[in-house]
Amino acid sequence: MVPPELVERCRQGDRFAFEELVRLTHRRVYSLAYRLVNDRSDAEDVAQEAYLRMFRGIAGFRQEAAFETWMHRIVTNCAMSHLRRRGRFGILLRDEEQPDLPTPDRAQELAVQRDELARGLAALPEGQRVTLLLKDVYGLSVREIATELGIEEGAVKVRVHRARKRLKEILEAEEVQEGSTRERSERGSGDLLPRRDAGGAGGPTSE
Amino acid sequence: MNVSLSCEEVRELLPEYAEPGPRPAGDVEVHLASCAACTAELAAYRDLLGGLAAYAEIEEEPPVGYLERTLGVVPRASRARAAIDELRDVSGRVATTVRKRPAVSAITGAAIGAAAIGLIAWRVGKRGRVPEIASS
Repeated sequence: MVPPELVERCRQGDRFAFEELVRLTHRRVYSLAYRLVNDRSDAEDVAQEAYLRMFRGIAGFRQEAAFETWMHRIVTNCAMSHLRRRGRFGILLRDEEQPDLPTPDRAQELAVQRDELARGLAALPEGQRVTLLLKDVYGLSVREIATELGIEEGAVKVRVHRARKRLKEILEAEEVQEGSTRERSERGSGDLLPRRDAGGAGGPTSE
Repeated sequence: MNVSLSCEEVRELLPEYAEPGPRPAGDVEVHLASCAACTAELAAYRDLLGGLAAYAEIEEEPPVGYLERTLGVVPRASRARAAIDELRDVSGRVATTVRKRPAVSAITGAAIGAAAIGLIAWRVGKRGRVPEIASS
């Protein structure tokens, strides 16, 4: 949470205050940028552009809304602009049914992160992922998302609906898979006969 | 007469129904009251939304040097600049005082002159010679 006094100092043109603001928020800004554009180098470009815009626009920021919301919208706007320049914005405009599977490199990165949610989000079609991030992770309203993505509010709601369903399915499937992997590794530890695990998820599964 | 909703119909509503906030009593509530499976589904969606809301607090690790590079892009505050600004501010106030009060300016000028003579004398004492005055 950025202290309102710091925001006010920035609004008054205090550059020391703005530097302090960057130090306070740089990880959060990077995180949002990265989750939207899915590339570490691009995320840094987006974050820097966002800070420049914040610097130029903060004098006009009215403190009726939370500063974080304003900051998230600027980062989102920069990310969308970036994706347009990279020619990937068309993907966001379409609500793809086919899963946009993570590349092997991305999957490896996520495996290192050991974040189930990150893996699940990365497995969503890009349009759904971005919309869900903005709505359920960063708390933008449907109207704000529609404005930033250049789509109708109804389309935002449909995407959020589909993304939630899809993500839940992905996470549940991963949980089942992890459970099966654990069972197999336990069985394979030298036993000749399959063992029934009393506390486990149950016997043979039929899928 | 209300027709009760099927599990399939209810589950289609659950992604939105799980959002926090008051919900009006209706057909979904009636169904959930007697369906453990759909109630479990609702709980799963609530867990998911809770996890997503908390995900914002989990920060990604930025590349090494990202903060420094970002600070380099933003117009930086300079402490030397701040000192210059402060001196200008002070000298501006002095100049205003001098314009308004000639007597004060005479006293101020004499005081500055005395201070300069004192400084030169101190330096002569330290170094044994008169310091060179650089021509501007």
